Amino acid sequence: MMFLLRLMLREEFRMHTSYTSRHMFLAFPALVGVLSFSTAATANNYLDVTPLRDVLFLLHVSVFLYGVSVGAFGFLGRQYQERATGFRNYLVTQPSILPMSFKRTFLGMYLRDAVFYLALILVPMTLGLLASVPLNGFRVTSILFLFGAALLSFLAGMSLSFFMSTLYVRSARAFAAVAALVSGLFVAYGLSRFSGTGAIPAAALLPGLGVQYAVPPLGSLGAEAVWLTLAGIGLILALLGGAVALVSDQYEPKNVYARDDLPGIEARLSRFRSYGTLLAKELLDLKRSGTPVKMFFSFVTPLIFLSFTVWFVRYGLNLPIGFNTVFYAAMVGFFGISMYNWLNNVDNMDYMSTLPLSVPQIIRVKLVAYLLLTLGISAAFVVAISWMNGDTRLLWLALPVMVVTSLYSVVMTAYLTGLRTNSFLFDPGVLFAFSAMSMLPDVGLAVLSFTIDASPAFAIGGIALALGALALGTLILYQGIDRKWSRAAFGE
Amino acid sequence: MAALEVQGLTKFYGSVPALQGVDLAVEEGEFFGLFGPNGAGKTTFLKVLTGQLAPTKGHARVLGIDVAERPLAVKEAVGIVPEVESPPSYLTSYEYLYFVCRVRKVADAEAKITRWLEFFDLGDVRRTICKDLSKGTRQKLMLAAAFIHEPKLLFLDEPFINLDPIYQRRLKDYLREYVDAGGTVLMCSHLLEIAEKLCDRVGILNAGRLIAQGALKDVRGGEKDLESAFLRLVEGRR
Repeated sequence: MMFLLRLMLREEFRMHTSYTSRHMFLAFPALVGVLSFSTAATANNYLDVTPLRDVLFLLHVSVFLYGVSVGAFGFLGRQYQERATGFRNYLVTQPSILPMSFKRTFLGMYLRDAVFYLALILVPMTLGLLASVPLNGFRVTSILFLFGAALLSFLAGMSLSFFMSTLYVRSARAFAAVAALVSGLFVAYGLSRFSGTGAIPAAALLPGLGVQYAVPPLGSLGAEAVWLTLAGIGLILALLGGAVALVSDQYEPKNVYARDDLPGIEARLSRFRSYGTLLAKELLDLKRSGTPVKMFFSFVTPLIFLSFTVWFVRYGLNLPIGFNTVFYAAMVGFFGISMYNWLNNVDNMDYMSTLPLSVPQIIRVKLVAYLLLTLGISAAFVVAISWMNGDTRLLWLALPVMVVTSLYSVVMTAYLTGLRTNSFLFDPGVLFAFSAMSMLPDVGLAVLSFTIDASPAFAIGGIALALGALALGTLILYQGIDRKWSRAAFGE
Repeated sequence: MAALEVQGLTKFYGSVPALQGVDLAVEEGEFFGLFGPNGAGKTTFLKVLTGQLAPTKGHARVLGIDVAERPLAVKEAVGIVPEVESPPSYLTSYEYLYFVCRVRKVADAEAKITRWLEFFDLGDVRRTICKDLSKGTRQKLMLAAAFIHEPKLLFLDEPFINLDPIYQRRLKDYLREYVDAGGTVLMCSHLLEIAEKLCDRVGILNAGRLIAQGALKDVRGGEKDLESAFLRLVEGRR
């Protein structure tokens, strides 16, 4: 197992460094360490207004979701196997041709992801915290306890995701039932916290968080901490054991037969003229690959998380921040970026290099597909959230904010990353530009939205100015796509 | 008239040379075979000539079009069979050919799709999505996609790989007829026996350099077959 794990880690490292370069990739954890250090160094300021207990709560929820997203790569298991005869191959496909157990290889994949992503984010984050000790007076032991508890939350998220992915391959119904159960637990926790009963303790939601509350600086490190740690480890092992047990050693790919839908879809898209064929193919690819489900969840999950965070800040922390419909609209626009990323991950694009097509042409098709797919959902979300919050008065402003930020975000992402969004976002140079170009306008619009009630003329004028600047930026970046990507090759 | 002309063509991947000063001319109506050991630069050469990669140095004109200046125009004019058979995973066989016809603005597309589906006996899989096709069937589909617009020049990278003897024969016959009718082929392959029967002229690429080129009998020299000549030329350089 150690031999396999070593090879898998090497493979993962080489795969990531192939996206950029060894130095650029290694700069990523360094960046995490620096960010963690700077956040921790200023801790004494924000701990005055936000209790440590709440900061740790948010941290554990984030780490848990990070684990879930890392584990979600387990969903690619089927795709990895199907690619075994394709251009790229991974060690995880080898059980199909070598006397290896797929269960064992799957376990190797879990351990690989745990070690790799721990080293990529959690370890540098902890090192950044340790480096900040002279500035904020944090205790080293507390930081080490935090690392241990966060590790439990991370592994719980990862194990849940791996379990769900293998369950999904076996039975979509069982998957839906367990997903409903887990979501129900989270909702019940939220309601019990909101009502103030606290009927569901944090430990029931996240064992790592339970441990965190039971060790210093918040707890006393007694028997409770030991029991909660053991319970957390037990939960992780149970989920992982279940996932491994569900993995099948014989994989039978499904053969898919389909009607000739392309001409019909193309005919319906005739108003897009020369892009009609490409757009029709794009939409058909999405439909047949099952990507819209993944896209929907990756779009809706952050929206739900955002709603939860806003609710928590408003009612949990009692902070007097005026979250309104315009704020949500700006956020929704920026969340659409993940949808563009999905559009680039549907299929290998190598064959396009044999046709008279250029990368900028395909980027433009994906931008149109993005707009067709997301604008309706985004508008529906903004309208729904404004109605639920009783804040429909600002819809006239929120909808243009949503449209402009959506357009800006996706065009900016397309300009920076072309057709390889996932790969390029591991390049710290691109990541830095991306963060600056997305966060600055995002934060600016959020701050302006908070001032609408106090100073409407200033806020609306500022938002109008920001939207104008974003629209101009969108136009410039859109025109720059041709210049930047015209000589780029398809494929990796 | 030359279908393609290459002068001093050089391609570097970072600091690694893949092609080093290649000079070549292939006349219209010629079947030119390019051979070389693994990693010699054959696929890179094809990719540069078809506008898939930009050259680092040198010039190349394909059907009179400068590949560095107008790569899309080159792709419009020629047919390309890539090294890896990779039709789009989620289109059916029929839909892929339909898609290619639409992108290439092929007139009378339905008749041509039917012709090529029949030529490669793809009728049974016309509604199977490409990711579920066998390697050989995917290769047939890539060949059909390259031939469907009846280009004047074909770039074929290992076109016979994954085909059974029946379709190898069918493809050989088609290519012979195509060249007899005035078409031009530049083919990379390791299958020297097939190449020996098809090619008018051949070139041998080794470590990015064209170490021999000419009529089949000239390159063969005193050797009994192309394989022996290939081994002598390539191993003699090592």
